[in-house]
Order: sequence, then structure tokens, then C-alpha cells
Amino acid sequence: MGMIKEPREVDLSTKSEPWTEQELADFRKIMQGIKSKNAKRKQRMVSGNNKRQSVR
Amino acid sequence: MENQYDKGLDFIIDKFTNSIENTLTSEVFDTEVVRLSFVDAKQIKKSNWQFNWHKELMDNTKEVYKLTTVNNPTIIQGLLSIEDKHDHIFMHLIESAKFNKGKGKAYFGVPGNLIAYACKISFDKGHEGFLAFDAKSALIKHYEETLHATHFRGLRMFIETNAALRLISKYFRT
Repeated sequence: MGMIKEPREVDLSTKSEPWTEQELADFRKIMQGIKSKNAKRKQRMVSGNNKRQSVR
Repeated sequence: MENQYDKGLDFIIDKFTNSIENTLTSEVFDTEVVRLSFVDAKQIKKSNWQFNWHKELMDNTKEVYKLTTVNNPTIIQGLLSIEDKHDHIFMHLIESAKFNKGKGKAYFGVPGNLIAYACKISFDKGHEGFLAFDAKSALIKHYEETLHATHFRGLRMFIETNAALRLISKYFRT
């Protein structure tokens, strides 16, 4: 584990501002796309494992 | 009017550890993250923190967590406030203790520990690691590089599944 270079001249803590409905809607679209890809990848891995097991 | 670029989270990921490291002695201390409730408010002395953590504790929609070393659970190293948005976790606040800020900070690794924990909660709640937050403009690139966070728009950023898994595997060894 190595050191991560960090900007030094910045205060350390602030807060998130609430996201607008539009921002949330757009974010959710992106998120759903990634989650759907995750699900497909998972499905492929499961079916790949099942195939390997049936060959043995 | 406050410049939008002065807003946003600006926690600094100083080191990837599953513990925190004394900046002077390099001594490493195991850490734990514990949820706080309103009855724990007395553990947080207002003058020691930039944000109003008592207000966060009173807000039922938010969950507040403290990071301490295992050996010294009374000294809070950092605080985190998150909200379950039902399909992701939103990080409202994160703050290192006064003595963990700036060039003279006592420990490395406080914000990273807390963010990895927030990602872990996201998985535990079935949100596949998704964590949304705001970043200060100067630190967007820093978070892209250290957290593998995705810059969404403006100050908005998020951590997706693969990035969350990377963080968790660094901080929470099984």
C-alpha cells in the first residue's frame, strides 16, 4: 500500500448540497445502466460456472 | 452569493489502509466504525467540529458513524453522515477530527476508512456499492484517481460497484 499524493492547500471537510430532482433522475438512469450490466455479467459468470461443472 | 466551487465535500484520501497510521511514528492502529445515535451526542463536542453533528444526529433520515481506534474508542478520529436513498447511499457530510486536518494531522487514512465503510453499507443495503456525494472542484480529479469515483456533473460525483469493491477490499480484509 503506497502513499496517495494529496493536495495540501485545501480545507478538509465540507458538506454535500441536495441534488435536484433532475440530477437524481439523470444519475438514476446511469446507475440503472451500470446495475443492469452488473446483473448480466453476474448471470454470464453463473452460467459459465455451471457449464464448467457439467463438463467435469 | 457563495461560489458553487466553494461547496462540496473536500475530504482528502491520504493513504489506503485498513487502519490509520500515525503520521509521525508510522505506528498503525486498527480502527472500528460505530453508529451514533442522539443519546451519543455528548461524545461530540461542538467546538471541535466544523459541522453541526448534533443536528445530523437529530435527523432521523440520516445515519451518523464515528471512526475510532479499537484501543481508544472514546477519541473520535472522523465522522460520517449518510442517507439511504433506497437505490444508493448519499453522503451528506464527512469530517476528520480537528487533529487529523491539514499538514500537521495526527493520522493518515481517516476519510478513506469512512468512505469505504459507506460503500460497504451500500452493499449491505442492496445498493450494489453506489455512493453519491459532492466534491470541491479542486478535488474532483483527486477522487477520480484515488477512489475511482465517477465525475457526474458540476460538483456531483458517485462511486459505482467496481470502485466500491476496490475500496472495500482495501479496507475490510476478510
